Formats: sequence, C-alpha cells, structure tokens
Amino acid sequence: MRLQNAALGAAGLAAFLTLGEALPRIGLVKEAYFPPTSRIARAFADELADGTFWTALGDTLTGWALGLVIAASAGIVIGVIVSVVPYLREATASTIEFLRPIPSVALIPLAVLLYGSELRSVLLLVVYASFWQVLIQTLYGVQDVDPVADETARSYGLGTWARIRHVLWPTALPYVMTGVRLAAAVALILAITGELVMGAPGLGARIAVAQNSQAVPEMYALIVVTGILGLLINVGARTVERRALAWHQSVRGEVAV
Amino acid sequence: MRRLLVTLAAGALMVTASACGSSGDPEASDSGSSSDGTTTVKLGLIPIVDVAPVYLGQKKGFYSKHGLKLDISTASGGAAIVPGVASGQFPFGFSNVTSLLIAQASGVPIKAVSNGIASTGVQSKDFAGIAVKKGSSVKSAKDLEGKKVAINTLKNINESAVRESVRKAGGDPDKVKFVELAFDQMPAALDGGQVDAACAVEPALATIKSQGGQVIASPLVDVAANTTVALYFTSTRYQQQHPDLVKKFQEATAESLAYADAHPDEARRIITTYTKIPASVLAQVTLPKWPAEPNKASIEALAKLGEEDGFFKKTPDVDALLP
Repeated sequence: MRLQNAALGAAGLAAFLTLGEALPRIGLVKEAYFPPTSRIARAFADELADGTFWTALGDTLTGWALGLVIAASAGIVIGVIVSVVPYLREATASTIEFLRPIPSVALIPLAVLLYGSELRSVLLLVVYASFWQVLIQTLYGVQDVDPVADETARSYGLGTWARIRHVLWPTALPYVMTGVRLAAAVALILAITGELVMGAPGLGARIAVAQNSQAVPEMYALIVVTGILGLLINVGARTVERRALAWHQSVRGEVAV
Repeated sequence: MRRLLVTLAAGALMVTASACGSSGDPEASDSGSSSDGTTTVKLGLIPIVDVAPVYLGQKKGFYSKHGLKLDISTASGGAAIVPGVASGQFPFGFSNVTSLLIAQASGVPIKAVSNGIASTGVQSKDFAGIAVKKGSSVKSAKDLEGKKVAINTLKNINESAVRESVRKAGGDPDKVKFVELAFDQMPAALDGGQVDAACAVEPALATIKSQGGQVIASPLVDVAANTTVALYFTSTRYQQQHPDLVKKFQEATAESLAYADAHPDEARRIITTYTKIPASVLAQVTLPKWPAEPNKASIEALAKLGEEDGFFKKTPDVDALLP
C-alpha cells in the first residue's frame, strides 16, 4: 500500500516535471519567461554549488525556526492562561478576533520602521502570523476538556497545576499540534515573503535579486527551493505530531489498520 | 515527549548555528567606532545597476580611505529605505528624487548628501525608456493616448517622466492609462500584450530590446538635460549629530561616482557580484551616468512636474533637501 502510494507520487511528480519541460519546448509558453525544467535544474545545481546560497538558506531557516519557537511558546502559554483564568476568555475574545485577521504582510511598513531590513523585522512578521494559529488551536483545545474528567480530577484533590498537566494538556495537545503544524507552514511563507518584500537577508531577498536581474531560471530554481523547504517542513511537522500524539486515538487508529 | 522536545530544541540550535554567517551583513554592527578609527555605517540600497559605484568604491578602498566601512543593507524597493533612514535604522540610504521630494513635502526629516545617478541625456540611449513591442502601432509618446502603459510605481518619478514625454510630444498625459507593474515583469507583459508600452529600466530594458522591442522615448531625458534620477540621503537628525561622518560619506561617494563613471568596464564587472544579471544581458545594458554632483535644475524640474501631477501634499523645498 505504502509502496504503491510512493510510486504514484513519483509518477505524478515525473509527469509534472515533463510537462514543465515540454510546454516551453513546444512554444505554448515562452522559454524566456518560463524556462524548461532542465534549464531550471541546471540553475538549481549552480545554486547548490554557491556558498552564498547556503548562508541565505541559513538566514531563512533561522528566521523561520526562531519565529516559530517564539510564536508557539507564546501561543501555548497565553492560550492556557486565557482559558484557565476566569472571565479572561470573554474579555479577550473580541480583541483576538480583531487582531487575528490582520494580514502580517500589512505590518511590513511597521517592521521596516522599527527594525529596518534585517532578521528582527522578518521575525515580527513570522511571529505575528503564526502566533494566532497556535493560540486559537490552544483555546479550542482547552475548551474541549471533558467536564467530567475535570470534575473527577478536582474531587481527587488535584491542584490547578496538576489539572493543567494531567487533564487539560493531554486534551489540548492534539489541537496544539495542529496549530503548530499550520504555524510552521505559515512561518515559512512569511519568512520568505518578508525577505522578498523588505530585502532582509535570506532566500526571499535572493529571489528578489534574481527577479531584478532578469535571471529567470535562477529565480525559478530558488522558488523550487522554497517549495522543497515547505515540503520538508510539512513532513517534519507531521512526524513530530505523530510521535507526540502516539498515545492518541487519532494516531493509534491509523497505525492499527 | 521529552525526548522529542530535546530533539526539536537541538534542531533549532543547529539551524541557528549553521546560520551564523548572515548573507546580508558580514559584520553587522551599528555605527560604532573601532580602535583603528574606521566607523561602520549602514547604507540601505536596492541591489540594482544604479548603485554599482558604491560597491566599486568599497572594493577600491575609497570608503576605508575616509575612515568608513560600509555595511550594506539591501531592500527590495525604495519604499523600505526612506522610513528606514527616517527612523535611524540606516544612517544612509539610496532613493529616487521624486520619492525624496514626496517624503520631504510630507515633513519626513531627510537630507540629500550625495548624487546617486543621472540619465545619460541621450535620446533613445538612456538606461530608462518607454518601450513597445516589435511591430507596435505606437510610434511616439503622443500615440500613448488611450494606451495602457506599465510603470513600476504609480505617482512617482517614472509617472512624472512619462507624462512629460507625452506632453512634449504634443499629447495629453491625462489620456494615458497607467498600470503598476514591477520592472522585471515588463518584458513578459509587453510581449503578452497585457500592456501597450512599458517604462522600463535596465536590465529589463535590455531584455525587451533583445526581443525586438523598440524604445519610442526616453522619459528621463525629456524631463531635463542630464536629469539627476536618484540621490544618497540621510536624516536631518543624523546630519546634525554626525556632520563629520556625513562629510566623509560625501567625499568617498563623490570619489566612487567619479571612478565608476570613468571606468564603466569595472562598474559592469562589479555588478555581477551583487546581482544575478546574466553576462549576455549585462553586455547589452546601458549604464547610467554617475556625475559627482546632483543637477539642481533637473531636480527643480522634477519638483515642478510632481507638483503639476499632484504628487505632493505641499510644495517640496528643493534647497532644503539638497546638500
């Protein structure tokens, strides 16, 4: 079953790449603006051989990782506090709903004003965008706590901390993990967008330079890199999620079949 | 769960460690003096052909000769640089004249310190041009009436300049339909017929020409003879606090501009170090002029055009802006 899936996936990718090679070759799209796969692959190989590419990749991953860690920790802590402290949820609900839909990209002028075009301005965007993903999921997760389980814990004399640890956290964890997985993807998008628009060092800035330089194959090669990064991050996040929730029925069910 | 967290933390650490060297700023620090008397100053610019003299001057040691070490922060558009300089993120920045006039007219405390680039002053042989597709019925700037013209930023220098070209050719600039499009997308848009003409700069202009496109007007040449297009600038606060550093930057930049202007081949070569312009395109690129001094008459002309076109909140003070 698994082998068949992998084979199908590879076949799909191969078809996609062949299409990318064929369309410009037969002239359906102009080669100058959409280079064939082989030309992009050559630019991709050139990138991999270039030391500055790796520092740019490192910059992007730093922004992504730091941003995600900050956003996830803040989202979880604030989410639990907001849900546990009486009346806080009601008091903050409208503010959260107001702030949450503000696109991070709209904060670019603010980020530039505060930090110029460097890592901190990218972090601002990344943290703002991914924080809400984690916070909202944490809030929902905590809300999902079984009142009977909570009451039982209370009647057994468990304190606030012990109830958070043994009742609230296991219930909320699957939600939190979903939030972190979404946040990981959003963080990557925002890290690259921030670099692309503001020029902070990283893959995004490299894409912008390639664009401004009319270096079309190089630009697509870098875009492919961001796609691969996104794929790896998604696979990684799913693995982490599966391992963290190995005890949970949603994951156990999957494995038992 | 605990092991997982440890793995995650280790992973994050590794990523951070591997990224110790940043691609943007090798030795990032604020403008602090080091023991040997050199001061590191940040300069915000867009990595395009225009700023080659700064990179060349850095390589030739013109800045270190004046006791300056440039820490170049790249931005993707001029829009990020003016607020960055105004808020003190970078002491120096590079921006086009109309953007600076707009900022000055809105009360942003900035001051030009040095010339940036100038047009070549030669019709059809400038680094910027209004280009049309091969075989287009648009033959002159007057024909742009009723046509869709791509410019990189609405209500900025290129709109002023294109409107002036149309006006000079006897057309009505209000009848031109301007659409905003990044320079790098202009060749494809022109080729695909999404726009009838595009006001492009190098290297996009070279790409358009290589595909048979025709330059029908040189808008920056129409504005004035030898138009000053962009300037290096600082904030008025920085100028008051560090007049000595501003003076050093001025002298080193003037030297770099003169050198680049006199050595176009070296300028062309340095461009390959900070852009990805393919060699075949770079050979076709028309370089701008890099005079050491800004041309005040052309800046006044741009201020007048911007005023006519309604870009400013109040009349900008050209004398207060210029060094």
